[in-house]
Amino acid sequence: MYVEFLGVPRQRAGVTEMVVEARTLGQLLETLAHRVPSLAAVIVGDRLHPSFAANLNGDEFINDPGTPLREDDCVLILSADAGG
Amino acid sequence: MPFGYHGAFLRIDVTRPRVERVPLAETTLRQFLGGSGLGVTLLLDAGAAHRDPLTPEAPLVFAFSPLVGSPLTTSAKFAVVSKSPLTHRINDSLASSGFAVAGKRLGCDALMIIGKASELSVLVIESETDEDVRVRLVPAAAYRGATCQATESGLRAELGHEYRIASIGPAGEQLVRYATISHDGRHAGRGGSGAVLGSKNIKAIAVRGVRRVEWAHPQDVTAISRDLSQRSFGPATAKYRELGTATNLLTFNRFNALPTRNFQSGTFDEAANLSPELLSSTRAKTRESCVTCTIGCEHIYSIAPAGADLQPGPDGKRSVRLQADQSQGVRVEYESLFALGSLCGIGDADVVLRASRRCDELGLDTISTGGTIAFAMECVERGWLNEPWLRFGDGDALLRAIELIGAREGLGNLLAEGSRRAAHAIGHDSIAIAPQVKGLEIPGYEPRALQTMALGFAVGPRGADHNRSGAYEVDFSDKVDRRNVTLDAVGFAIETEDKAALMDSLIVCKFLRGIFEDFYAEAAGMLRAVTGWDATADELRETARRIVSAKRQFNLLAGWTPAEDTLPERFLNTPLPDDPAATLSRTTLNELVAEYHRQRDA
Repeated sequence: MYVEFLGVPRQRAGVTEMVVEARTLGQLLETLAHRVPSLAAVIVGDRLHPSFAANLNGDEFINDPGTPLREDDCVLILSADAGG
Repeated sequence: MPFGYHGAFLRIDVTRPRVERVPLAETTLRQFLGGSGLGVTLLLDAGAAHRDPLTPEAPLVFAFSPLVGSPLTTSAKFAVVSKSPLTHRINDSLASSGFAVAGKRLGCDALMIIGKASELSVLVIESETDEDVRVRLVPAAAYRGATCQATESGLRAELGHEYRIASIGPAGEQLVRYATISHDGRHAGRGGSGAVLGSKNIKAIAVRGVRRVEWAHPQDVTAISRDLSQRSFGPATAKYRELGTATNLLTFNRFNALPTRNFQSGTFDEAANLSPELLSSTRAKTRESCVTCTIGCEHIYSIAPAGADLQPGPDGKRSVRLQADQSQGVRVEYESLFALGSLCGIGDADVVLRASRRCDELGLDTISTGGTIAFAMECVERGWLNEPWLRFGDGDALLRAIELIGAREGLGNLLAEGSRRAAHAIGHDSIAIAPQVKGLEIPGYEPRALQTMALGFAVGPRGADHNRSGAYEVDFSDKVDRRNVTLDAVGFAIETEDKAALMDSLIVCKFLRGIFEDFYAEAAGMLRAVTGWDATADELRETARRIVSAKRQFNLLAGWTPAEDTLPERFLNTPLPDDPAATLSRTTLNELVAEYHRQRDA
């Protein structure tokens, strides 16, 4: 599936998007942490740091590491704080 | 009197001028704390709800807080509170930095300005000793029409650099209904407090004081300050530190939530042009902080794109520091980028940065300025307003409109009234597309795509507002379906409103909110250390609700009716064009609002 980075996660990752194979959100985050060490402060184990959020296909915000993912999904990683 | 307070406010009548020190009861301070809360209760006591805010009798309050003057990060803030000339409802705007510290050192917890000077003047308030406070008016004819920045720098040179100065720009002098009060480049921005000060013939307030308060438990204050500062360097504030609020732009665009062309769309094709990611790579940039702040959210970009002087820094990024006086720079915030950019269909970063800087100079709220101009652009597009030069996407037209508003010339005289009054003058049912609630222009959150925020906008005591309701946080979480919210969202929206009320009264910056695990418990700890009160988290939850209730009470006295708690027709029953799932029915909004009032009144 595609992973799209926004804001601080994009700055840290150094790319806007990436293709990753994973069956669950937790697997996805662990894979990202391994492949992109600069995301260390964003990802804690198989979860995002509370200051960051994941969204599935622009629709639903997801938090549970067990959330199943499909091959054609797009997971957005962004700052949780949307304040301006 | 508790530690952390002086136990009095200064009532200053600028007609004569004279100052009176008015005692504040400890119970009042404990019930309303400071900032917005203290300001609202002082206005209620003064009968301000019934007065026209632009008459001499109408009070304008600058309220400090128990934390001001402490080393607690982000605590150097003050609230400017009055009845809004834009909405005729409560208005509390916050700004930061040295004015808060110097103002409190006058030996007071708030300033209340009433009356009207006989000529344009600078109000100087100073204390040489612990015993007395003197006020005087200095003729300000030389500053008539001067920008906020020129006024403040001129007065510092004239009076002395130990003075801290808050000023209005030409827009405040012209009583533009969304004029700001500026201090040190920051603005008490929303709701037109600059027009209230302008109506009193006061161009600027200069303060200098010597009185400090003592803290109940200084060692605890120091320990909490160190801990908060340390945590403020962490991931919870990374967004503000690394990119600033402007990073919302691409995120909101991705979620179809970036208001575009007067809310006709939630996406903007040229959003990337305005993003901090791009601006950082093409312009000189520096970063600043308010006094006592350890976050440093202010990202200041050069107006002109950098040329050959833009060199890679040690980190490899192509950026250079601006000159120390930042004379060619502009603070870039998301709200300014959206309001003067996508909302007006402008994707040229040069234009948007110039427009933002010009608003800062004139003393104009960028959100209301952009919102009112975008509304007028759509009226032109629909043939309701015969100003053919004012078109979406036309940068010259945007800059021209800003100048006209600041001077109240031509079309600017109408637009200086804000979108609601302009709609009533234009007719054609244009009120349906005026982007406002209670007269306050809507910030950069598309209500159909962020429906908990839609509720926050509808019920906000000062109108559509992202600083008094943080309901967008709920929409950007797994607590709700942001495009199809249910009554479950109401309690979450109330929580964010209460939290904001407490932060605005304590006062600490909302950009800290992510670092607290239990904000109310930590806030109680700060208050105990500073004041010596046996404050608890439960007490502060009650305090927050009391402050929100006081704002609603003010509005009720000012003529509020339930019909005001809604959104413009545009947002109801009509899907967001680029996201049909983002539809908010009138029935749903009415149910959310009714549930909000039921819970608030329970």
